[in-house]
Amino acid sequence: MQLTKQQIDYCMECGVCTGSCPISQERAGFSPRQMIKRTLVETDENVLYSNDLWACLSCSRCSDRCPVGIDFPEFIRSYRQQARAVANLPRESHHGVFQTLSTLQAGASRLNRIAWTEGAGQIAAKGDYFYFVGCAPFQTPVFKYLGLNVIDTAKNILKLINAVGIVPVVSNDERCCGHDAFWAGNEELFAALARKNVETIVASGAKTVIFGCPEGYATFREHYPQVVGELPFEIRHITEFLVERLPGAGVVMKDAGDGTVTFHDPCRLGRRMGMYEQPRQLISMVPRTRFKEMENNRENAVCCGTTAWMECSSCSKKMQTNRLMEAEQIGAGTIITACPKCQIHLTCAKSNTDIGVEIKDLYSYLAEQL
Amino acid sequence: MSGEFTPKIIMFACNWCAYSAADLAGVSRFQYPPNLRIIRVMCSGRINPNFILKGFENGADGVLVAG
Repeated sequence: MQLTKQQIDYCMECGVCTGSCPISQERAGFSPRQMIKRTLVETDENVLYSNDLWACLSCSRCSDRCPVGIDFPEFIRSYRQQARAVANLPRESHHGVFQTLSTLQAGASRLNRIAWTEGAGQIAAKGDYFYFVGCAPFQTPVFKYLGLNVIDTAKNILKLINAVGIVPVVSNDERCCGHDAFWAGNEELFAALARKNVETIVASGAKTVIFGCPEGYATFREHYPQVVGELPFEIRHITEFLVERLPGAGVVMKDAGDGTVTFHDPCRLGRRMGMYEQPRQLISMVPRTRFKEMENNRENAVCCGTTAWMECSSCSKKMQTNRLMEAEQIGAGTIITACPKCQIHLTCAKSNTDIGVEIKDLYSYLAEQL
Repeated sequence: MSGEFTPKIIMFACNWCAYSAADLAGVSRFQYPPNLRIIRVMCSGRINPNFILKGFENGADGVLVAG
């Protein structure tokens, strides 16, 4: 969506966006308010060649608070696509492996992305439910050095889905959801991935797709219809699915361990999808959980610092460390999050500090109590 | 055209060992298969995982890192 001149006129220059932006707090000169106005007074080239285009995290804190409803993340994304055309490219993290992996998945490469299911739980080749795993199988080898085993999240989600009596389809033909390609302005790649995924899910005969990752869920919900039209299946995020199914499934949970836990809202699940209560309800299902909110919670939550595997910088590290300190201040020993990327980013930041907060994904927290 | 599959292989060769070996093979007039394409790097430590993935992205059937 390119903002029209009229929409830009709606901007009251109140600056709520810049005041809310976690990047503006750390990066000198970055201001969503000024960027919108720049497009009015400057030539497009100035904006297109700007580095600031890639700094936005699309965390949606600005658009969530904007009194006139300007969708700043979408505004910046539409420029990214044009910036690519003039070779203004982002700095990719981890040598760009994730970007290459997305491109590879849009081609005809044969993958082995379901080997992890062996021994982890029951899966089917066809059925009513499809578990959309996401990037975890690829993230696992990359983040070994952080002491993380990202695939454990997928294993625990599968365990929980099985625990409520469902044997989901987990497909080797699943592809990257295209979230990162979309937000990095690569619409062609995004569209190719979207079509492949919908084709795979339709072929499996599934009526409901369960997402373990908020990014995949948000991408299917918000952006797939633009490419493939109305989705021919229902989509659910695992948190809402478990909130409905877990209480009636006769699952008995053990008491929580000692220590206070808190919840870090992922941007995609919280502000973009409005799921604030479901993860909290799940945490409270574990008996004797001591739960405390961080200062910035729900719609005020601060992003984990990086999006789409690009532009990781000292700003990102500062944001992540601040977030860890927020948890420390309320005396939480564990930050629970529902997004694998938040978990990775916070764990990475933690490795350079002496903050003693543990970062755990929601599903491991639940599955450990089964 | 024969129906036999000949894989395209990209080789990243370290300047100081593997590449020298390939060079020596050359000056000794040994043949090596033409489906192996050599890219010289100054050290195999220069390789990062994305080099290998990029090889596949660009159509290689196999990637060999030697050093």
